[in-house]
Amino acid sequence: MASTMALPNRRSRLGASKATVYAGLIGLMALSMLMSLTLGYKIYSLDQVFGALFAHDGSETAVVIAGLRLPRALIAPLTGAALGMAGVIVQTLSRNRIASPDTLGLNGGASLAVVVGSVVFGVQSLAGLSLAAAFGAFITSIVVFGVAASAGGLSPLKIVLVGVTFASLSHALVEVILTSNEAQLQQLLFWLSGAFVDRPISLFYNGLPVVLVGAVLGIGLSRALDALQADDSTAAGLGVPLAAVRGVAFLAVALLTGAAVSMAGPVAFVGLVVPHAARRLVGLRHIHQLPAAALFGAVYTTLADVAARFVIYPVEAPVGAITAVVGAVVLLVLLARRAA
Amino acid sequence: MAELAPSRIEVRDLTLMYGHDTVLDALSLPIPAGKVTVLAGPNGCGKSTLLRAIRRLHLGQRGQILLDGVDIGSLGAKDLARQIGLLAQSPSAPPDMSVEELVRLGRYPHQAMLQPWSEKDGAAVHRAMEGTGVDNLRHRRIGSLSGGQLQRAWIAMVLAQETDIICLDEPVNHLDMAHQLDCLDLVAKLNREDGRTIVLVLHDLNLAARYADQLVFVHEGRVRALGKPEELMMPELLAEVFEVDAAIMTDPVHGRPICIPRGRAKVKRVREVA
Repeated sequence: MASTMALPNRRSRLGASKATVYAGLIGLMALSMLMSLTLGYKIYSLDQVFGALFAHDGSETAVVIAGLRLPRALIAPLTGAALGMAGVIVQTLSRNRIASPDTLGLNGGASLAVVVGSVVFGVQSLAGLSLAAAFGAFITSIVVFGVAASAGGLSPLKIVLVGVTFASLSHALVEVILTSNEAQLQQLLFWLSGAFVDRPISLFYNGLPVVLVGAVLGIGLSRALDALQADDSTAAGLGVPLAAVRGVAFLAVALLTGAAVSMAGPVAFVGLVVPHAARRLVGLRHIHQLPAAALFGAVYTTLADVAARFVIYPVEAPVGAITAVVGAVVLLVLLARRAA
Repeated sequence: MAELAPSRIEVRDLTLMYGHDTVLDALSLPIPAGKVTVLAGPNGCGKSTLLRAIRRLHLGQRGQILLDGVDIGSLGAKDLARQIGLLAQSPSAPPDMSVEELVRLGRYPHQAMLQPWSEKDGAAVHRAMEGTGVDNLRHRRIGSLSGGQLQRAWIAMVLAQETDIICLDEPVNHLDMAHQLDCLDLVAKLNREDGRTIVLVLHDLNLAARYADQLVFVHEGRVRALGKPEELMMPELLAEVFEVDAAIMTDPVHGRPICIPRGRAKVKRVREVA
């Protein structure tokens, strides 16, 4: 009988074992980072790149590569990795494949917290601003889920509607605060849309431990997150402590999103797109879904950053615009398939 | 009532309220070891709530539930999940999850946080898939399964949990007649061959009478009657609990009582005077 015959698994049809997938993604990540170092307004050879990275001779080449391109080549993949993992956790928690740090308003909340911290409370240190970003993302996640829950159940669409409302609200508040503080407008403008241009490398060193803590929390919860993909009764029946797992998972999401926003501002839709690719590559178990999303997110964001240098060459496009276009197309396809 | 095996689970004077609504009203019920207990009753009588309370998904305000003489409130979440498995009513998981990924979820209570997947886990998943006949579907996405296949995959998930006691909340809803029998025969086999204690909520009285060792009529938050199916399938009792006027016959194939409803009961319900 046709209906009982074992059809080939959609994922295994890609014909790759998980080890091959990881090796391929790591190779692609290294390649994309090299592209980020060599390609741009000026194109350098690999010799020049390695020369500049290891010999600080003060030449123009060395300044451009070590001072301008290296930070981007490190911050872009870390941001992508953080948003990819945050997207996986958010989609599992909300049981909603169109949820992401953007559509839940977490990026917006993180941006708002950074701008408020900087303009209102005079926070200047990068560590302080990162903390503010994580705090903003955490508060927003609590508020969004709280409002959606009190509005009668956490239906996938309702969560996203509440999230998008909060995203618009925080975006509007950021604009109001920035336009009424013109002196700080220029230096804070990048909190309005994501970009990797002109970032000091200290942002990377600042974000790295936060992303690592978020990743460790996510991996530690991986089995509980697997079970949470089923309904609440089933998960509770398996012995998953629902409230505790959700609390820690939201903390992980807040750390990951906050770190990403503190490094690059809100880079649109990365957390929406990347989990879909990760699941297709390695399946639904989080012990694989999370690392694959981190690697794929790193590749995706780094390539988007390279592409941003060429789409309107010689001028650079904001990377957030590139990821927004790709993300919007993916979102429309998902909605058309009624994946929501 | 006939003497059954000693109780695995003992519900004692359990009162459970949602807000001001009393769903279970000082309900007491023994669940005998190694037997199939079926909870039946009209809509809203509290039978699903009772099943979920036994699995500690709802907490009562008064009374207690003992598992082998120990209050389930004192057990850890994973500890309890290693002893009582639950197939929830209309369970759900992502449609692109594979059957094997679903069945593996059942191993959750047996694993410490970062403990690697063990041979024991693998063997349990394999046995569960084989026992339910879904091992040849292991790579299929659950969204592509038929209703009967999907329900067997879910039962395999609960089996992988390797619990002595299995609770199933209306497991044959939305299944056609052949798959209803398929599913309940599988459950009966688990009881017969592995000696597992089964607690089922069923809507269909004839299925309940056919598969139950102990049949329980739940009515208005209390146990109205319990015993062997032939003791409970009585016209007066069915009129009172289910409000149907039914003729009772003996199924010539299985020798179990079956009911044939003539229509709504005309008799006024009489509350038992305690």
